[in-house]
Amino acid sequence: MTDLSPISALGHAVPQAVRIGTLTITENAGLALASLALRQGGGAPQPFGLPLPGPGGWANAGATSAFWTGPGAWMIEADGRAEDDFASALKAEAPGCSVAEQTDGWAVFEIAASVATLEALLEKLVNIDASRFVPGSALRTGLEHMSVFLIRRTEGQLALWAMRSAAGSAFHAIEAAARRLDVA
Amino acid sequence: MLIPHPLLGPRDAQEFTYLGDASLLNRPDGMAEGALAAFCDYVYLRDNPAGVHRELWFHEQGDRSWLVVTRNTVTHEILGAELARDVALRRQK
Amino acid sequence: MRFSGFRVIAEALTGHKGWKPLWRNPDPQPAYDYVIVGGGGHGLATAYYLAKTFRKARIAVLEKGWLGSGNIGRNTTIIRSNYLLPGNEPFYEFSMKLWEGLEQEFNFNAMVSQRGILNLIHTDGQRDAYRRRGNAMLLAGADAELLNRDQVREMAPFLNFDNARFPIKGGLVQRRAGTARHDGVAWGYARGADLHGVDLIQNCEVTGFRIENGRVLGVETSRGYIGAGKVGVAVAGNSSRVMAMAGMRLPIENHVLQAFVSEGLKPLIPGVITFGAGHFYVSQSDKGGLVFGGDIDGYNSYAQRGNLPVIEDVAEGGMALMPMIGRARLLRAWGGIMDMSMDGTPIIDKTPVGGLYLNAGWCYGGFKATPASGYAFAHLLATGQTHDTTRFMRLDRFERGYVIDEKGMGAQPNLH
Ligand SMILES: Cc1cc2nc3c(=O)[nH]c(=O)nc-3n(C[C@H](O)[C@H](O)[C@H](O)COP(=O)(O)OP(=O)(O)OC[C@H]3O[C@@H](n4cnc5c(N)ncnc54)[C@H](O)[C@@H]3O)c2cc1C
Repeated sequence: MTDLSPISALGHAVPQAVRIGTLTITENAGLALASLALRQGGGAPQPFGLPLPGPGGWANAGATSAFWTGPGAWMIEADGRAEDDFASALKAEAPGCSVAEQTDGWAVFEIAASVATLEALLEKLVNIDASRFVPGSALRTGLEHMSVFLIRRTEGQLALWAMRSAAGSAFHAIEAAARRLDVA
Repeated sequence: MLIPHPLLGPRDAQEFTYLGDASLLNRPDGMAEGALAAFCDYVYLRDNPAGVHRELWFHEQGDRSWLVVTRNTVTHEILGAELARDVALRRQK
Repeated sequence: MRFSGFRVIAEALTGHKGWKPLWRNPDPQPAYDYVIVGGGGHGLATAYYLAKTFRKARIAVLEKGWLGSGNIGRNTTIIRSNYLLPGNEPFYEFSMKLWEGLEQEFNFNAMVSQRGILNLIHTDGQRDAYRRRGNAMLLAGADAELLNRDQVREMAPFLNFDNARFPIKGGLVQRRAGTARHDGVAWGYARGADLHGVDLIQNCEVTGFRIENGRVLGVETSRGYIGAGKVGVAVAGNSSRVMAMAGMRLPIENHVLQAFVSEGLKPLIPGVITFGAGHFYVSQSDKGGLVFGGDIDGYNSYAQRGNLPVIEDVAEGGMALMPMIGRARLLRAWGGIMDMSMDGTPIIDKTPVGGLYLNAGWCYGGFKATPASGYAFAHLLATGQTHDTTRFMRLDRFERGYVIDEKGMGAQPNLH
């Protein structure tokens, strides 16, 4: 029992990254994820001082971010806290809400590139209107039959949360699409 | 087809799964007189119109909302969409 | 006019001047003993067997468009009797036997081609299920054979046997299954019915029923009122609309199913092949086109055309199963309207209205049923008794709790 070593969602000892021209895809193994849902009639909390965004939105305050997943429901992200019990910390910040640990179920890939490249990549991968997917947007959609969350963090930064059990397939899909783009 | 999601704007119909006629929201009272016949109608019989149809779509690869979509079954034109929750709450009033 | 090899040669030598129209084009009479609504495969077969086998009577088929303008001319022509449930399998095997003698029976080339159907197995669970189905087929007098991987490879070496997710582990084959020429089937039955005195009336849409004291007296049509002793409705994708005119709601939803044909290729596909892991099936027509399809689009539709997501889905299935299909160019795609029943099984029965009979709910599988459906519906119309092979296909089976749910999906038509 002493020789177990942790692996990332893609199955390696260290998180993976690829560079294709000016575009990079990086597995972010440190980002914690927990879901937060209001109970009926309950008001929205402001965990860690974070104002929870409305439909289709992503908001960020310091090391914590939140994105809307459905009426009265959000996912909360926390930088570098994948290995501690972030859900308990969130629960303390959101009394009366339902909170569930999600880090173990998901894997996130951060994609950085120019605006034009990111939008071209989105157009190859998902059936959403890339031009309306501005910074501060987040949504769930289908990507090669897998259900994923997409976040536009900034003009040049996109994040994609995929099911952890299909992390390899999702990473492959992004990488294959990126290689077909004309990125110098 | 693009479904005009009341919260999220136009979304590809591929993100949704389809249940059927929106009358499925009107589940009969299982304790009422004639409940057996009412349930049989509810489960098995459909108006199945050629033309405007109100129907339930679930935004599975999306925000997991149930929508009531009004659509023309002859042309596939989508005439509107609301949250099924709003429809159901309105009915309770 | 009889068709024969001699006749074809004689006509070829004399400039094809002796061919005659295959049927008359009569105006409707004021009344008939039997009125069949719908000039698709089932309506025409019903009229044929009614006139030929069961009763000499005044019979008309009323068709709102031209004969064979509905699903009979839109399907992918697969004929098979590889069902599991006792409510289904004897009926489809009866149909298969009728197919085997059909061309002699109505003296017309329906191009019945028993090239076999191969259902692929991708998991151990699926092998168990197919073995069970094969045994059910054998018990009903049909043929079935379970193949191992090598035997499948011999039959269809071009398949993707080592697909990472869905490797092919074997198959269930019914060698007597195959394809037939859909239009030829409609024309053969139409011609046969006409020869036995049936009036085939085209451009005649039924717009209402005259019902008095719970009994049907006749039908209103776009060509005037036509009286009828008995009325049999076989309108496939229009069943709910037509029966609504008789005040009935049916356990049916309409959905669109698409089909696809590639450019003509050299002989390639030995019979019909179905992918067991996705929704894809393929055969090759006598002209060489690959004929293929997959799932219904999944939402209520009367549009006779589908949308792109299902086309993409079918293409993905094809690529997963036989990657070489990616080289073939698509020639045509179209859609037809399915009368999807609540348990995926058809209805051949009398209705609560006296003298009014219903043949409906064929989903995407009614082509193979054409001969038996016509035979059984004619039997019901003529005798008032259900034919033995359709005794479970009752309209009231839902309220009685005797559904015949081959797929085990429950009352969710878009999943059958
Ligand atoms: C794309 C596709 C693929 C298919 N593949 C297969 C397959 O491989 N194997 C298989 O077994 N089955 C298959 N099917 C199903 C099969 O085609 C149908 O189940 C079957 O043809 C239905 O019976 P029918 O031939 O009588 O229908 P139809 O040919 O549709 O006949 C019904 C007729 O009724 C007429 N009508 C409607 N309303 C009225 C009215 N008010 N008055 C007068 N006439 C009216 C219509 O114009 C039509 O001609 C497929 C169907 C489609 C669309």
